[in-house]
Amino acid sequence: MFKPQMTRILRSIRFNIFLGSLIAFFAAVGTILPQLGQEPQKANAFMQAHPLWTKFFSFFGMFDLYHSWWFMGILALMAVDVVLCKLWNKPPDVGIVSLPPELTNEEDLEKHLDKKEAALKLKPFQAFFGSKMGLEDAWLAARGHLKREGYHVKEEFFLPGQAGAFTATKHRIQRWGSYFAHIGLVVILIGALIRSVFGFVEMVPVLEGGSRRMQHMFDPRSFAQRVEQLFWGHPWNMKEPIDVYVDKFTIEYYHGTMEPKLFASNARVMAGDQLLGQKIIRVNHPLDINGVRFYQASWGAGGMFRSVTLKLGKETLKLPQRTPVKIPGTPFTVEADMMLPNFTITDGQADTASLDLKNPAVRLMFSVGPHQTSPLWLLQNYPDLCFTEDANGQLTHAPSPPFQLAAVDPILFSGIQVAYDPGFPIVVLGAIMWLLGMIALFYMHRRRIWVLLESSGAGSCRVNLGAWSSRGVREYEAEFRSLAKSLRTELKSEDNFRLTENPIVEVS
Amino acid sequence: MERSLAVLGLNHKSAPLEVRERLALLSASELAKRIKAEGTTEAAVLSTCNRFEVYFLTPEGDSRQDDRITAWLEQVSGGPISQHAYRYNGEAAVKHLFEVASGLDSLVVGETEILGQVKEAYEAAHAAGMTGKYFNVLFQRALYVGKKVRSETGVAIGQTSVASVSVQLAQTIFGGLQGATALVVGAGSMAETTARHLISQKIMRLTVVNRTWGKARALAAQFLAEAAPWEELPSALERADIVIASTSSDRPVLTTDMIRQAAKARQGRSLFILDIAMPRNVEESAHGIDHVYVYRLEDLESVVADNMKKRGVELSRAREIVTDKSREFSLWEKSLGSGQEASFKHSNVPTPTKAA
Amino acid sequence: MNYEVLFLKGAWAFYSLATAAAFVYLYNKDEKWSRWMFRLVAAGLALHLASFGFGMHYFWKIPDNRYYFPINSFFGALSFLSLATVAVFFVIESRHQLGILGAFVLPWAAIGTGSALIFANPAVEGLVPALQNYWINIHPVILMTSYAAFGNAFGVGVALLIQEHQIKSRKPSELCYRLPSIEELDNLNYRIIVWAFPVLTVGIIMGGIWAYSAWGRFWGWDPKETWALITALVYAGYLHMRFVKGLRGKKAVYVSMVGFACVLFTFLGVNFLSPLHGYLSGGG
Repeated sequence: MFKPQMTRILRSIRFNIFLGSLIAFFAAVGTILPQLGQEPQKANAFMQAHPLWTKFFSFFGMFDLYHSWWFMGILALMAVDVVLCKLWNKPPDVGIVSLPPELTNEEDLEKHLDKKEAALKLKPFQAFFGSKMGLEDAWLAARGHLKREGYHVKEEFFLPGQAGAFTATKHRIQRWGSYFAHIGLVVILIGALIRSVFGFVEMVPVLEGGSRRMQHMFDPRSFAQRVEQLFWGHPWNMKEPIDVYVDKFTIEYYHGTMEPKLFASNARVMAGDQLLGQKIIRVNHPLDINGVRFYQASWGAGGMFRSVTLKLGKETLKLPQRTPVKIPGTPFTVEADMMLPNFTITDGQADTASLDLKNPAVRLMFSVGPHQTSPLWLLQNYPDLCFTEDANGQLTHAPSPPFQLAAVDPILFSGIQVAYDPGFPIVVLGAIMWLLGMIALFYMHRRRIWVLLESSGAGSCRVNLGAWSSRGVREYEAEFRSLAKSLRTELKSEDNFRLTENPIVEVS
Repeated sequence: MERSLAVLGLNHKSAPLEVRERLALLSASELAKRIKAEGTTEAAVLSTCNRFEVYFLTPEGDSRQDDRITAWLEQVSGGPISQHAYRYNGEAAVKHLFEVASGLDSLVVGETEILGQVKEAYEAAHAAGMTGKYFNVLFQRALYVGKKVRSETGVAIGQTSVASVSVQLAQTIFGGLQGATALVVGAGSMAETTARHLISQKIMRLTVVNRTWGKARALAAQFLAEAAPWEELPSALERADIVIASTSSDRPVLTTDMIRQAAKARQGRSLFILDIAMPRNVEESAHGIDHVYVYRLEDLESVVADNMKKRGVELSRAREIVTDKSREFSLWEKSLGSGQEASFKHSNVPTPTKAA
Repeated sequence: MNYEVLFLKGAWAFYSLATAAAFVYLYNKDEKWSRWMFRLVAAGLALHLASFGFGMHYFWKIPDNRYYFPINSFFGALSFLSLATVAVFFVIESRHQLGILGAFVLPWAAIGTGSALIFANPAVEGLVPALQNYWINIHPVILMTSYAAFGNAFGVGVALLIQEHQIKSRKPSELCYRLPSIEELDNLNYRIIVWAFPVLTVGIIMGGIWAYSAWGRFWGWDPKETWALITALVYAGYLHMRFVKGLRGKKAVYVSMVGFACVLFTFLGVNFLSPLHGYLSGGG
């Protein structure tokens, strides 16, 4: 399968860290280089400004970096490698102290009795004391005590009249925390993969009062319906063209500002003449049709309007779009043909800075019979400003006219994002696994205590304790001290007890 | 008649251990009774393992009481003490008490235990009904000065021996040394002293390695530590946190390669190596390895010298405070006679609790 | 009178004084400076909480903002971040009693509140529709708590570098004996990160879930999301190097400092890159 060399590289954590760094690096690049997926205008502007670089970057898909084959490849490789690492490598101990060999059979116990010192030498925490209890009673009492302390007793050995030993562990689950967290991570990536294979996202801008057909088709039936209809000869997947209608679009602003407070579409989703769903959708409150969700994502003024209102002295004049209207009492006819929602001047020409109604302007054409004057731009927010436009679209400042733009009644479009993400529940599942794994790994510290009891005549014995924990040395020391003390009381110890084999350190 | 403070005392500088031990055995209540019988209304006895001092009020210029107490002490302790004792009167006695409370007269300058002992001495005297206004104020001032000196000067910091500096440096690397493992390579009196200092810090394990197995065993037995054969030096190095290298070898015993191997196996745990051998036992380039700190004898000595220098400054600052405060006290003392009692500023030392 | 700003100014003054006390304590062993530092920090924290309370009160005057936290603006976010930094500092202090760390952590609180007062606009604005969701009380709060913890870890890291340098130089100054030991600092740095890392990842995941319920996508490679991911990757690297390779001390601190640089960039720098998370644009 793999050459051993390659296996070694793949299973090394170092390689995984390298992959992670690579992902981090390119992800950072993607936030600096404008991306088509995130900021299409900026990206296009960049492409026009730097044609040479663009050629080079486009070749590597740098303008849609996050969806380029190689970036996906690194992500996939990392996911696979995490699995390989976890399969091949034992879960790391949090803490770097190696554990002494375990007792596996009775011969081992005897061996350990002989080599007690050597075995205990490796334990970071130790305690020794004599007990005024018989071997058997002490053995039972010690086991009972540790069990009450939440330890899990295993590997018990007992040689009547000689010695008894067991190990007790707590929070062994920590060992699996790392597995769980990493599997969670891979599950999240699988969820993302499912989304990119089976899911779709589409932006559907719909003019108020109008409709638009989606580019993606989907099967609007629920899972149960599909299963049911399968028996009647219907195919599993029956994709249909879908139309999104926005019957009414409402927008409310915070009082006195142009900051939107709420925007919502009274939307209908139709497959032919079959109504699939209807709801007033607003941000954070989408419409769900069997897993396909319709979100209120954005809105804007595209330049269409129902009417604009002009003010001439005391009189007002309502102009529908592209409809000439005679100005009362004059020979002039006026026609409003164009509206810009956020008027600005780019290269001397009229332009809009955004699709918000922040600075609406309207282009008017005046005519007397067949004679037409040059177009005139009026701004709602700046009644004194006025521009004329020549044949090349160049604007010239004009003296303020005797009329003003009083109001604009725009036809807004509602940006509806349709998303189908069958991977989402899997992502959530992965996230929960990740979280549980982390809690086990980082917040539940493993403890292991080795207890060896040696008979020292009838009705008394020697107790040897060795302990290890993934907790910090200082934190565990205090815990071990109190555990050893309570165990000492339990086992009716009378002598001073020492925390190490070395009699230098005596604690009374 | 004007009365003033007098002190009769012996300490670690003035008297040999045997004399101090004899006096330390005396019972405080016995002493109190005796001094009361001498007609003294206010007195206190400060008895620790390093000093024995009797503070009492005596008529000014009168040394009879002093002689009587000395004679009685000689009698009960069964030996001469007169030639080992020191005596101060008036402001000098006040200053002495303040110095004692500040730890300036202690064996380990700046130690804090003495402050508690002064407090105990006062509380015992208070319980025996041997304190009046003068002693109440005097001892409260002494405790206040003791705290002030410690908090405002650095008398307590800065060790002045190679061994204690080594321990202090080890603490800046490992924190408490309770979990630490030490390794002594070779033998030598300075290595031994340093090891003893480490042992006093309750280190977890001490291993002794020597080219001669017998020597290793002997030294290990002395420390109640474990010995390891010379071949196990690399593995002992992996387990050790603090290494004291002190062999008589004329070539480096701990090579950079060896230390690098150990450092790698230690996975980033610090390794503190004290090279107190002449010629050096540790290759100099080892200091460049991450997490390895090699201190040579001259480094330790320069730290000691530095501390000495700093301590000089701190000590003179401490003495200044003590002199200042004892002068302030005598002013108060004088004001008592004039009927217009002066007050101390910032003497926020709590009055002692009444002993049952 | 804007009490939110007024109290924040007070908190800023106390934090600055506490920082000054912490620095004095660094060079003067008198315990009274440490006590003063705590008193000043506690006073600053009290004022800061009051400021946050007033901020909430003003914010909720707009009915649509009820009952969301006022952390939608740069001002609110900075103020909350500083508050969290001091709170985490308090928790660490109560468990470890290392008053000396104040000099390395408190400057962040002073800088945070100071820059909120100087650079940010405290004006209250209505929440844009995308932020009108209970997730705003969860997702940014969790993330900023982790940022605050990383800030504390950074302070500990700085102390460790100073201590390491001192001991390596073979000429330790008095400061060396005043700082906690290398092992303690290393352990503390690690423990804070081990605590903050899961919090960071949970915050990111919560953001994903919110994004899904608001916009229909869990992950969109928005610069803020991306930089939060980069931060998590760096700290994940730190933890792996520590667990598996036993990376400790100086080099471990360098890695964690790269992580903290990412935190800062995620919090501040990205506002200039992100169309969705920009504090100035408001989003939508």
